[in-house]
Amino acid sequence: MGTIEKINNLHVRKEKLEAGGGADKIAKQHESGKLSARERLEKLFDSNSFVEIDAFVETRAIDFDMQKKKVPGDGVVTGYGSIDGRPVFVSSQDFTVIGGSLGEAHARKITKVMDMAMKMGAPFISINDSGGARIEEGIDALSGYGDIFFRNTLASGVIPQISVIMGPCAGGAVYSPAITDFVFMVDKTSYMFITGPQVIKSVTGEDVTFETLGGAEVHNAKSGVAHFRSGNEEECLMEIRRLISFLPDNNLTDPPVLAANDDLNRIDESLLELIPDNSNKPYDIKDILVKVLDNGDFLEVQKYFAQNIVIGFGRLNGKTVGIIANQPKIMAGVLDVNSADKAARFIRFCDSFNIPLVTLTDTAGYLPGTGQEYSGVIRHGAKLLYAFSEATVLKINIIVRKAYGGAYIAMNSKHLGADMVFAWPSAEIAVMGPDGAANIIFRKEIASADDAIAAREQKIEEYRNKFSNPYVAAARGYVDDVIDPATTRGRLINALEMLAGKRENRPAKKHGNIPL
Amino acid sequence: MKKFLIKVNGNQYEVEVEEIRDGVLPVPSAVSSAHPVQAPAVAPVQSQTAAPAAVEKKAVITGAVGATKITSPMPGTILKVVANAGDSIKRGQVLVILEAMKMENEIVAPSDGTVASINVSKGASVNAGDLLASLN
Repeated sequence: MGTIEKINNLHVRKEKLEAGGGADKIAKQHESGKLSARERLEKLFDSNSFVEIDAFVETRAIDFDMQKKKVPGDGVVTGYGSIDGRPVFVSSQDFTVIGGSLGEAHARKITKVMDMAMKMGAPFISINDSGGARIEEGIDALSGYGDIFFRNTLASGVIPQISVIMGPCAGGAVYSPAITDFVFMVDKTSYMFITGPQVIKSVTGEDVTFETLGGAEVHNAKSGVAHFRSGNEEECLMEIRRLISFLPDNNLTDPPVLAANDDLNRIDESLLELIPDNSNKPYDIKDILVKVLDNGDFLEVQKYFAQNIVIGFGRLNGKTVGIIANQPKIMAGVLDVNSADKAARFIRFCDSFNIPLVTLTDTAGYLPGTGQEYSGVIRHGAKLLYAFSEATVLKINIIVRKAYGGAYIAMNSKHLGADMVFAWPSAEIAVMGPDGAANIIFRKEIASADDAIAAREQKIEEYRNKFSNPYVAAARGYVDDVIDPATTRGRLINALEMLAGKRENRPAKKHGNIPL
Repeated sequence: MKKFLIKVNGNQYEVEVEEIRDGVLPVPSAVSSAHPVQAPAVAPVQSQTAAPAAVEKKAVITGAVGATKITSPMPGTILKVVANAGDSIKRGQVLVILEAMKMENEIVAPSDGTVASINVSKGASVNAGDLLASLN
């Protein structure tokens, strides 16, 4: 074979590889609203930036005639590319090749790019579209999953890891996305579950569809497994690019800084009107966020889950910040099992990747009731306190309205190590709400009064005026300053600049034991 | 008026259910109390008090329960019923206002549709998970 022939032979081989499972199967993929493994990478990365590695890898299994089913690439495309010019490593399972099933070689390709991502300190994105373990490869397939989970765990807190579900992701396969930082799902084409509808039917007799068991809506709104939900794959891939723009490459670098193109000291008088005069009236906390952040740009994470707390990324003076805000519009912004879980994990992500935390506090407190107590609100609520206390990134809190009792402490208070705590004049910071407090403190006066109801009202008002304001906490230094809401943006940016050099040493330890 | 035959622990109960339309007061005679009818041979030791008590539960139901059920997210008191059965509503529109955790929480429609039923009235105490309204 001459050199030219050898080169031609290479081209023939490559063409065959890049055809994946063939035109028919790719057409089928398109019919079901899905892109092929390679089309996804073209859309995810800057144009022509994807470079494939391990295209020639194939299985070495021989049981069940696997040598006859041998497919180059082994059902997954791996490599790297760039997003806004920054390197990102990727694996993209190819459903058109043996159903994207995971065998030994398939898994080895994935773990190889994961190792590279960790060595090079670049984010890793895993696109899942697989029928599951390749049964013919038996224990080697299981070993493959285990190797991936192990690396997901090692990489956690070192590089951002993103899982994208663009097809089935069932059984053991779900645990890789679960360990990673963010899970993206697409409406109607992506499913995640431990056991499928058939097994559920045979074991419990319960009839359930793929969609209601583990579709994008279920995992975004009910289980909280997924963080983002898109209407189609293109939208999803664009959303991933947007998320990456907020994140650093790894735990030793800072997130990219965009040129600040929004007024740093913008005075926004409209912030004054957002909070209703009656403190029992709800409002949308996101209205405050968009007025304060650069260009009103806010990428909400877990938008549909535990909506009583809002988390997400924005920028102040071009620099990424992680936002945690109680949402008075939903369930009075209470802290409960799900909202504590949601916020705590987000805080830990931000702390791992040097993203300053900015919190907006307005919560009615921890949600009472047997439902919450039986679900372990003590255990879950503790995560929030733990995560805030543990975080050493810049921590700024703005108390906009209610901050009572345990919830006041839990929400990034000075006591848990917040660097700067601001309060709006509308803030109510006290050990408990005026109604409850008056009932306890003035019990005797109320009982002995001629008109108990009027006396109670009067005592509540007395307590409200005396204690439900920001000045008692400010008098102790627990609130650093009470600020004019219109100046919030400027004060935040100023505080972030002042805190930029923050150094905080903690006792050396292997790791803490967060209440899980 | 609809009749249902309900079987509880082997006892059969004949229950009459009448739908109460908006603004129409229930006719006292129409509210029937369940009475056990002779059940076929079953285990003799049965509590007969549980089932009739269930019928006495006062739920102000206007309209039949629709496909999309809206339940209370937390325990509280109904401060105001904003929507009426039969109203066509848009996603995010307020159905009822639930006072809980010292906040007037707006319970909104999760999707566009028609209000099939409003299952609570002003002043009612509700628990987390109680049906507030339903949509079609």
